[in-house]
Amino acid sequence: MSPPSWADALLRLALPRADQDSISGDLLEEYRQEILRTKGHAAADLWYVVQVFGYVWRATRLGALVFSGAFLTRTVWDWLVPTADFTTRSAVTTSVAIGTLAFVGFRAAFRSESILSGIVLAGLTSQIAAVLSALGVTSMLLLWHDAATIDAINGSGGLGEAFVLPFMTLFPAVVLGAISGVCGRVLRRLVHAA
Amino acid sequence: MADVLGSFEQAVLLAILRLGDEAYGRAILKEVQRRLERDVPHGAVHATLERLEQKGLLRSRLGSGTPARAGRARRYYRVQAAGIRALNDARAAVESLWDGLSWPLRGRT
Repeated sequence: MSPPSWADALLRLALPRADQDSISGDLLEEYRQEILRTKGHAAADLWYVVQVFGYVWRATRLGALVFSGAFLTRTVWDWLVPTADFTTRSAVTTSVAIGTLAFVGFRAAFRSESILSGIVLAGLTSQIAAVLSALGVTSMLLLWHDAATIDAINGSGGLGEAFVLPFMTLFPAVVLGAISGVCGRVLRRLVHAA
Repeated sequence: MADVLGSFEQAVLLAILRLGDEAYGRAILKEVQRRLERDVPHGAVHATLERLEQKGLLRSRLGSGTPARAGRARRYYRVQAAGIRALNDARAAVESLWDGLSWPLRGRT
């Protein structure tokens, strides 16, 4: 019996190259020798997936928190200090988002020696950040829902944009992850060669 | 005194000392869970092992795999002299805090 192969592949993408065998082996040993025997196949698969997402969260949490923090700060700024010219604000938040996703992709590819790792982890970072942003926007709406704030929300793209925009960063995140992943992989190879 | 170890770091280092030559990832996890009497995620133990190794308190080597691991290598850990010193410092810090007090404490709860 083996855990879901997609989860095993995802785990390897989230780990440094030197630890992929030892850590996935530890999980597999626990899965086969204890969890499978005591909990059954479906529960053991679920346990394995939860453990894998623990590793994915550790690999993406810094980027996801910075990304969603920047988005929520910008949203509060737009809601509480309305403006007609969003150029500077957009430039700041876009730069933070690009820098964060590029860093995640670069670091993942450098550690795992896999460009695919950069692509997948940058994409997952954007979507985890999107979920955190949606939760943040919901909380902010519970705090501020007076007429003036609703006007400001409508003037800055509306609620639809506040909830949907972060999820739409998946494709740019994948592209950035690919580019920065290539850079990370090449630098790793140069370090090995030196 | 160098950085004082956190309680989880101490649990991991002491587990490695207890396990001796059998201190690899899963065995360390089980020992930590048994001593702390709670479930601990694999990722938390591996992250701590990585951090302690980066600090120079541990050293690791790859061993052989087993059929249950699909042949994947085990990584074995050994506490270094700096790790022993850090554990001694942590123990001394706790004893200093308790100096002059008898245990268990008595009083209103």
